[in-house]
Amino acid sequence: MMKTDVGMKNTSETARDTPKAQVRNRHVRMKKVLLYAAFVGPALLFFLTIQIAPFLMGVYYSFTSWNGVSSSIEWVGFDNYVKIFTSDEKFLNSFWFTTRFMLAAVVISNLIGFCFALLLNGPLKSKNVLRTVFFIPNVIGGLLLGFIWQFIFIKGFSSLGNMTGLSFFNQPWLGDEVTAFWGIVIVFAWQISGYMMVIYIAALQGMDRSLIEAAKIDGASPLQMLTNIIIPLILPAFTICFFLTISMAFKIFDLNISLTGGGPFNSTESVAINIYDEAFQNNRYGLGTAKSILFFIVVALFTTFQVMMTKKKEVES
Amino acid sequence: MKRYAFLLLSFILFVGLLVGCGSKDSNDTSSSGGDSEGGKSTESNSEGSDDEVVTLNFFQFKVEIADQLQAMIDEYEKENPNVKIKLESVGGGADYGAALKAKFASGEEPDIFNNGGFKELELWKERLADLSDEPWVENVLPIGKVPMTDTDGKLYGMPVNLEGYGFVYNKDLFEQAGITEPPKTLSELKAAAQKLQDNGITPFAAGYGEWWVIGQHLLNIPFAQQDDPVAFIEGLYDGSETIVGNEKFEQFQEVIDTEIGFGNENPITTDYNTQVTLFASGETAMLQQGNWTENMIYEINPDINMAFLPIPLNDDADADRLPVGVPNNWVLNKNSENLDEAKAFLNWMVSSETGKRYITEEFAFIPAFDNIEPTGLGALGQSILEYSKDDKTIPWTWFRWPDGANKEFAAKIQEYAAGRIEYSEVLEQFQAIWDEMK
Repeated sequence: MMKTDVGMKNTSETARDTPKAQVRNRHVRMKKVLLYAAFVGPALLFFLTIQIAPFLMGVYYSFTSWNGVSSSIEWVGFDNYVKIFTSDEKFLNSFWFTTRFMLAAVVISNLIGFCFALLLNGPLKSKNVLRTVFFIPNVIGGLLLGFIWQFIFIKGFSSLGNMTGLSFFNQPWLGDEVTAFWGIVIVFAWQISGYMMVIYIAALQGMDRSLIEAAKIDGASPLQMLTNIIIPLILPAFTICFFLTISMAFKIFDLNISLTGGGPFNSTESVAINIYDEAFQNNRYGLGTAKSILFFIVVALFTTFQVMMTKKKEVES
Repeated sequence: MKRYAFLLLSFILFVGLLVGCGSKDSNDTSSSGGDSEGGKSTESNSEGSDDEVVTLNFFQFKVEIADQLQAMIDEYEKENPNVKIKLESVGGGADYGAALKAKFASGEEPDIFNNGGFKELELWKERLADLSDEPWVENVLPIGKVPMTDTDGKLYGMPVNLEGYGFVYNKDLFEQAGITEPPKTLSELKAAAQKLQDNGITPFAAGYGEWWVIGQHLLNIPFAQQDDPVAFIEGLYDGSETIVGNEKFEQFQEVIDTEIGFGNENPITTDYNTQVTLFASGETAMLQQGNWTENMIYEINPDINMAFLPIPLNDDADADRLPVGVPNNWVLNKNSENLDEAKAFLNWMVSSETGKRYITEEFAFIPAFDNIEPTGLGALGQSILEYSKDDKTIPWTWFRWPDGANKEFAAKIQEYAAGRIEYSEVLEQFQAIWDEMK
């Protein structure tokens, strides 16, 4: 763009004063570079120092057998990676748990978020209050939420069970694999749906109302409108929401550690907890970083694939 | 022109920000450099160093004594105006080990910190100062030296205190159920539990939700009841001993079965607080915990009448022993610029009257030193002391286990308690975990 701009100027000035124009040209370019640097530079610098540099160091450590403390760091090549794939059943189990959790959490939290958005986009008197109420859980930190919900599941549910006699409450909540799994899914969905709702509401409000009206006049039923008009039009919001929930669910750590701590019997141990334990509890920092690099690759591949898939489906009105 | 001015301004601000952040470091190093000179000058001429204030960074994990520790430090600073001690406590639910690693990685190395000994000593040894020649060493009880003594005989840490655990029992509830003799063997324990249950009292508060309660304390019993626990563990490392087929580990099943069979509901989701509360409020008659729960129990029920029972593996007389050990040690950073001041502080803590008073009365510790008279102990501390005096103790062995194995062991015990796997499988899994993590 810049080049054509300057070129046009040059031709209009009929190349009479080329050296001068060149100076001005360079001047303009300098100015732009400086301007970009001033705006992007600080952010880039921070990104490089606190994201990229640790990442590269992590890649390096993943090829060592460092224990996290010692001053001597031994290079072991691909040993850590080989170990993960050949003799670390626990890591694969935690991967399997995280994947199952991610699928359940993504479906449920988006479903709830989208339903809330549809409800609260309508002519409801209390919609502003409700929007705030549904969003609030997202503001509370995951660690705290985990502890609060642990209390609800263990103490609250059992006293509810005693009072009502309902078998749903009388289960050993968080005490076996199934209830612990769904416990985390419930709290995660409860926390995240409000956030998804806000994104969906924004998309719904940005939609062209005339299309809805046209469909109404044509006699489309509410369900037809939803599936054939509303959802295709706000697909970009789905792309964002799926991306966010997938990456958040994959990387779940704080909620998990405070709610179940990976238990009972490691059945709800997410990959992030497994990595943390490997690096800091088992003092195998090298192995831990190798796992986190693998984890990064999987999450990156998965989310890229998802964004590509949903992007392809997006339409414009 | 205006735009240039803005650009320049923002650039200056940005550079200022960087310089600001950076200069803090350089200030630190320059001032600590000065400190070290000050420290050296104290040795040569002590008068000139009064204006030089030395700062010691004290990073510790016993959050329950954080306030009292600060009070003790204030007294020390009053006595020694040239020393400032900056106390930072990370522990309880937080991960001290990871926080300490982060401190070292970021260059903010503390001068005084905690170390568990054995495997942790091995891990941190190259950072620790040798304390073998300190004046207090001769007063350390033999049991207190073991964790921090390296293979070459050097001592790297000062024991914080002694602690012990077992089944804490409520004497009044036992009396109510008509149990006159405290049970010291497995059969007696089972009989007592049965009696309690017949009288409508839940015998055990089982905290199987807490990995350290089962994977560390409970599982320590079969390790520590071996004829020679240290040799047994070394045998496990070199493969000459196995967990599968070991008599003590076979007997261990009975202990879990008894505790779970006569325990509270949902043991797997019972955490530390719930467990202690169950016992303190009189809902259960026994609690598998240590003397550190003392204050918590007295807070809930000041009139409780309690003492320790052993966790018996069998009906032998040897079963009547309590696991007593050093939970943690104070260590000094070898590269500290104020090593002498830090050593002086440690020595003051266990030799001065003020320091001794804090250890026994304020921290309510069982001292690991023979020159400190244990006063102000509660019923549980007293009970441990009696067992120690009778020499009826077994060691804490988990500091010798592979790093992280305790958590894995706990998961397997949970699985067994939930009825997911057979006990034979538990032992096989223990062995597999040991072999994988050693």
